[in-house]
Amino acid sequence: MHNPVTRKLVNETHNIFSMLQGQVASSTGQHLQSQLVLSSKQYRAVLKACSMELIHLAETTRNEQQKQKCEEQLEIFEMIQLIWGFCQILFIEITPDGLLLNQLLDWIKWHFTEGKQLAVEVIHDDLPAQHPAYWEATFRLLLQGEIDSVRKLLSLNESFQNEAFLSVDELLRKMPQWTHYHHALSAAEFDMKWRHWREECQRRYEEGHYSAFPDLETLVMVLCGDENVFSDIKDMCGTWYHLLVSKMLFQNPTVRAADLHFYAETCIEEFNMSGSRMGELDNILLAAIQFDIHQVIKDSSVFLSTGSWWFVAHITDLLHHCGQLDTQNLPYGSNLREFLILEYATSLMSHKSLWQVGIDYLDYCTVFGRTYVKQFINHMVLDNEKKAQKLLHICQERNLQDEVQTICKVMGMKSLRLGRLGSALAWFLRSKDVTATSKLTERLIEDYSICSKFQYTDILDNLGPAMFLSNRLTFLVKYREFHKLYEKQETPEAASLLLSLLEARLAPRTFWITLLQDAMPLLEMDKVIFSSSQTYVLMHCLEELRHELDSKTDISKKLTNMEKDKLDLLQLCLTRNLSKAIKEEGTIKSS
Amino acid sequence: MSATKAIPACHDDLIHDVEYDFHGRRMATCSSDHTVKVWDCDENDQWKCTASWKAHSGSVWRVTWAHPEFGQVLATCSFDRTAAIWEELVGEQVKEDKQSHWIKRTSLVDSRTSVTDVKFAPRHLGLQLATCSADYMVRIYEAQNVMNLSQWSLQHEIQTGFTCSCLSWNPSISRLYPPMIAVGSDDPSPSSSGRVQIYEYNESSRKWKKVEIITVLTEPVHDLAFAPNLGRSYHTLAVASKDLSIFSLKPIGKESSSSFSKFDMHRLAEFTDHESQVWRLSWNVLGTVLSSSGDDGCVRLWKSNYMGSWKCIHIINGSGNKTEQSKEIKTIPVTSNINQNVRFYHVQPVTAANEVVWH
Repeated sequence: MHNPVTRKLVNETHNIFSMLQGQVASSTGQHLQSQLVLSSKQYRAVLKACSMELIHLAETTRNEQQKQKCEEQLEIFEMIQLIWGFCQILFIEITPDGLLLNQLLDWIKWHFTEGKQLAVEVIHDDLPAQHPAYWEATFRLLLQGEIDSVRKLLSLNESFQNEAFLSVDELLRKMPQWTHYHHALSAAEFDMKWRHWREECQRRYEEGHYSAFPDLETLVMVLCGDENVFSDIKDMCGTWYHLLVSKMLFQNPTVRAADLHFYAETCIEEFNMSGSRMGELDNILLAAIQFDIHQVIKDSSVFLSTGSWWFVAHITDLLHHCGQLDTQNLPYGSNLREFLILEYATSLMSHKSLWQVGIDYLDYCTVFGRTYVKQFINHMVLDNEKKAQKLLHICQERNLQDEVQTICKVMGMKSLRLGRLGSALAWFLRSKDVTATSKLTERLIEDYSICSKFQYTDILDNLGPAMFLSNRLTFLVKYREFHKLYEKQETPEAASLLLSLLEARLAPRTFWITLLQDAMPLLEMDKVIFSSSQTYVLMHCLEELRHELDSKTDISKKLTNMEKDKLDLLQLCLTRNLSKAIKEEGTIKSS
Repeated sequence: MSATKAIPACHDDLIHDVEYDFHGRRMATCSSDHTVKVWDCDENDQWKCTASWKAHSGSVWRVTWAHPEFGQVLATCSFDRTAAIWEELVGEQVKEDKQSHWIKRTSLVDSRTSVTDVKFAPRHLGLQLATCSADYMVRIYEAQNVMNLSQWSLQHEIQTGFTCSCLSWNPSISRLYPPMIAVGSDDPSPSSSGRVQIYEYNESSRKWKKVEIITVLTEPVHDLAFAPNLGRSYHTLAVASKDLSIFSLKPIGKESSSSFSKFDMHRLAEFTDHESQVWRLSWNVLGTVLSSSGDDGCVRLWKSNYMGSWKCIHIINGSGNKTEQSKEIKTIPVTSNINQNVRFYHVQPVTAANEVVWH
């Protein structure tokens, strides 16, 4: 999961997975079936591409350790491809007539390439027929049904003009091959043709046409499907499943999937007798032949998911949508598909960057997906603003309001700890946390009363309706507005705003002195700014403040002498303004 | 993916508790040496001790983190009969030596005996704290103002009738379930009643009430832990006693809103692998992997397959020999020979279990 190749695997198959889930939701029947086959092939293609890259990497690296890792990974990938290819034939790409030999041959050809490699070597030799591997190459190709290549090799033999060779060539040429008749013949018709052909092979063999050439004779015995000859050359198959496919080619080309396991047993026995033991891979394939899908998934999980749950999660998803699995809920609460996808997504969540892919997978888990996403998001480390924004985006897409709030609160607390009050305020506002916002605003107000300067003006000036979250904040914003008006010398507006701040009782009481003092320059102006009724309001506020402060028993909260002087001065100003205002209001304006 | 790593903790006595913070990037340890230490994981995944202070005048039994939305806050409890709330000082982060400063916000002094466990409530219940003590009491406190951690009011006192040793809140993130607490007892005397009680809070009567007693456990209980409930229809409770047990509690409805829930309870698993006392338990964030530490000097990881069958998936030897991948986990080395080293296992902030449990 941590090298670039596997990262590519995760990312590319993620796209295939997402696309497929969309198809599952929107289409049904035949169309869906072909989509499933297509997806299965796409997954395998990505896997193959990754394998190729690993091979390249292993060849080019100078680091022994890395090379070894690549090779280990490669081995796992190869096994997955083998199992996947087989499962696709048996469970996903089911032919309407139930015949599967051609697909099996393709599968074998894909994974066992020694025959082809040998043949290339032989053909390029100066004297092909003298090459020590001439016959081995021929047999290997024959066992994979590469009839044309076998004929080509035989034609290179110096005895090719011999009657025996020409006879074999004819038999090979006439061998009924399913691909040639695809869809044109019924299985029964094909079977008849094939039996005729095999009888011909047997007749010629029994007539002793080939006794002069033992290798040629063996070849014809293979064509006749002779049981013993397969035992002799089984090592050229290498595995029981190759042997099985080869045998079916010459013994029973119209075999159905359901009958395969009868034949598999003898092939396995063949290999067991010569001392080879069934490995995990063999068991998985055998379980597949026996149509025990759960066993396939179980064994694959144990055997192939040590690095990740990639394989089992994706193949189970496919099989699930193909209708090959029980959809009933398991004791843990949902079905097998969801269990494995949860495991896979979980394994991605602990990765530094692939976690986003994990979230997408969780979206397709109907029972537990949402709670998993919530839980993961809650526990994500919020290293930086960018990550937080990314998470917020994810939450908003999924309408996870609680999580949005939590992230904002945590980020707010973080900014607060670092002394970045502006950013803290922004986060708290976004989290709609009234208590935290109010407390923080109080701190800002306090800061102002100490240094008489506004900080974080950019955020305060651009709050919009967000300022109504907390009364304190509303006050702070309005107070800032007052100062701006005052600076712009829009004094009447400034005055009425100041008055409304006092009237609405939005300001903390401790701040009233500051507010009233702010009124002083306005009172001192030549022009009358505060009307008489407005002045009364101000006077009322002053009295209220005095009364309250005087009634305090706590000495520390009582007014200092300086503050007392200030208030007395204010009182004087107010009185003077009142008289001015009454005078002006009483004067009839001469227009 | 990750390896076992040992960190010399430099505690002068037995370490009783190790606790990761919510994101798994910080860690707190507490010890019989009266101190608490805080550890931070840097960008290179190296753990550094960033604070160490004398927190109590007795053994510190447990340490626990509050949710980060309340800031960087710890609670501890001790043999000195108190529990304490600690907050990291704001703005001290950028100091030269990278040491942070923690100050005590309050001491909770209601207990007349050793306070044996302390746990913050799930986040959606606000800033609440439960303590339990040897005087049979569970106490639940609440901070009146989340911005001011020096004022806590005692909201509830629950008389359990046994010596409490541990407690666990049900961390269910669904608000469908009422608040729930499990309390365990390590009373060594043979007694007929169970060692684990489960309490539930009723909104309408505003009372905590005992809703269940686990009677099958008769040995002293050292730790218990509810698993996070991610939408499962049942709660999962792990109990550390002489053996490790895992219980499921399925609410089976209640008659009316004022009455209390009833449960269908099952023991899902019982393991004797530690061969002796099991001391501490911890769940991963999904509640799918349980870790336990015991007198055998090992930490064991447990996971259930889709059939609900639990198996041990990994063993970490206290001596740190294993280098295979491990998951978020905490442990206390209980054997005295390694009491000054805490073995920490690489933490992934969001944990995963890749180990397979199929059987």
